[in-house]
Amino acid sequence: MPKITFVSPDDGRTTVEAAGGDSVMQAALANGIEGIVAECGGAMMCATCHCYVDEDWLSRTGAASDEERAMLDFAASEVRPSSRLSCQIAITEELDGLTVHLPEAQI
Amino acid sequence: MAFAPTDETITIDQLTRDPYAVYRRLRAEAPVVTVRSIGRTLLTKAADTRAVKDNPALFSSNDPNTPMQRAFQAHTLMRKDGEDHMRERMAMTPTFSPANLKTLWIPAYEKLAGEYLDRLPRNETVDLFPALAGPLAARILAIILGIPGATDEEMQYWSQALIDGAGNFGYADEPFARVDACHAAMNAMVEARVPLLKAEPDQSALSVMINAADPIPFSQVLANLKIAIGGGINEPRDSLLTVLYGLLTNPDQLDEIKRTGNWSGAFEEGLRWVAPIQASSRCANEDTEIRGVDIRKGEIIMTVQASANHDEELFEDGHLYNALRPKTSHQSFGSGPHHCMGTHLARATIGKIILPMIFERFPDMQLVEPEKVVWWGFGFRGPLSLPVRLN
Ligand code: HEM
Ligand code: FES
Repeated sequence: MPKITFVSPDDGRTTVEAAGGDSVMQAALANGIEGIVAECGGAMMCATCHCYVDEDWLSRTGAASDEERAMLDFAASEVRPSSRLSCQIAITEELDGLTVHLPEAQI
Repeated sequence: MAFAPTDETITIDQLTRDPYAVYRRLRAEAPVVTVRSIGRTLLTKAADTRAVKDNPALFSSNDPNTPMQRAFQAHTLMRKDGEDHMRERMAMTPTFSPANLKTLWIPAYEKLAGEYLDRLPRNETVDLFPALAGPLAARILAIILGIPGATDEEMQYWSQALIDGAGNFGYADEPFARVDACHAAMNAMVEARVPLLKAEPDQSALSVMINAADPIPFSQVLANLKIAIGGGINEPRDSLLTVLYGLLTNPDQLDEIKRTGNWSGAFEEGLRWVAPIQASSRCANEDTEIRGVDIRKGEIIMTVQASANHDEELFEDGHLYNALRPKTSHQSFGSGPHHCMGTHLARATIGKIILPMIFERFPDMQLVEPEKVVWWGFGFRGPLSLPVRLN
């Protein structure tokens, strides 16, 4: 199973195993990662699953769609070029080892 | 496996007056339970309420046996699924875009909030429900929806009539007659605005919907506006009153919030403590199972977010308002594809504008006889009054 590492704003790292087909948001919730709230449950309607994709992985996760960009404007923390809604990143074997950074706040 | 146990003892009156005591017992003893008096299966644990709403393929929003369709004279987006729901929801979303919030609605609200606070009398008892929370919520909504000519009184009267009609499970005549009269007035108000907004489009919900390249049918434009009227006044009103009550009855917390400026945290905690919309129903599309209990296809499930927000697994002393609680993530805006459209608006206006503004103007605001404040409601819940003294 692909492994995903979440890095909290204070640099705490948690690595979890994720089921292929799940989203990064789902992997976070399933493993009690505090920094992902995901109020809308992945319907791309809340922007409380915001994360920053680690530089090294940006080419593999791809870019946010226009709709995702628009929703990211609602994010509580600064939006950067590496910002994604974690519910919109589907986990594949290719993403084994993915590292994402969590923002200061989601609400 | 077995079907949910049936509870014969819980009454609608109990759920209206003191639902939290009932939910606390259900979370411990029967977290999936059919309640005879309301004819529905209640889910009271946070993990269950959320899982159901996040799984729209299995749990439909289309509860066919409610008075809502009759009351709204329409099959509305709240009761639709999948593509049909998305199309009607997306028709209205441009109005609520971050850019519109930032440049139009938040500045408008800030100005209104100042004006409504200016009107409040000092040195006498004033009830903030009718004097501030209700009318302010009504005014900003009328502007955002594109019907600024509707008065605060009209907006509130229509809203209550829609809510009473949608909750008229006994199918009594009066609530339907009252809401029918409101439909006539609302339709006339909206129709009169259409030519004006066609000529001079703006970012209001009515304008955005009728001027879209591929507009939804006008019947659904009306239905969307009415869902917003029915669901966009009493929640901001009740949550504002709830937070004020929470802070004023916990002066230490209020002092700390004044120091840190974390009004958003105080607001989120108010939403958690008493969810303005306490429960939402879903209908099982197939035979399934929740927490080891069999659910039949067609069974109506009530996901009780009010109870989820007090779940002992997530919150210590959940029955207490505590603005300094470390984690306040709650389900009061719902979850899944029907997640509240007004979430960001409510957070920006109440959490960031009106709360700090009230306490800046009236730093010594006092509750008058807090023990007399009555909390009321099963589907929607909030305080029936909030008498304070301002100086
Ligand atoms: C504190 C304030 C508010 C709370 C707690 C709240 C709560 C909710 C909840 C729980 C739902 C989901 C119902 C379900 O899942 O069946 C919802 C939906 C909705 N809310 Fe709010 N609401 C608030 C403010 C507003 C405002 C100000 C507006 C309008 C401007 C609004 C518009 C809507 C609409 C249109 C929907 C239906 C969305 C859909 O079905 O896709 N809400 N709200
Ligand atoms: S979970 Fe709501 S946008 Fe991702």
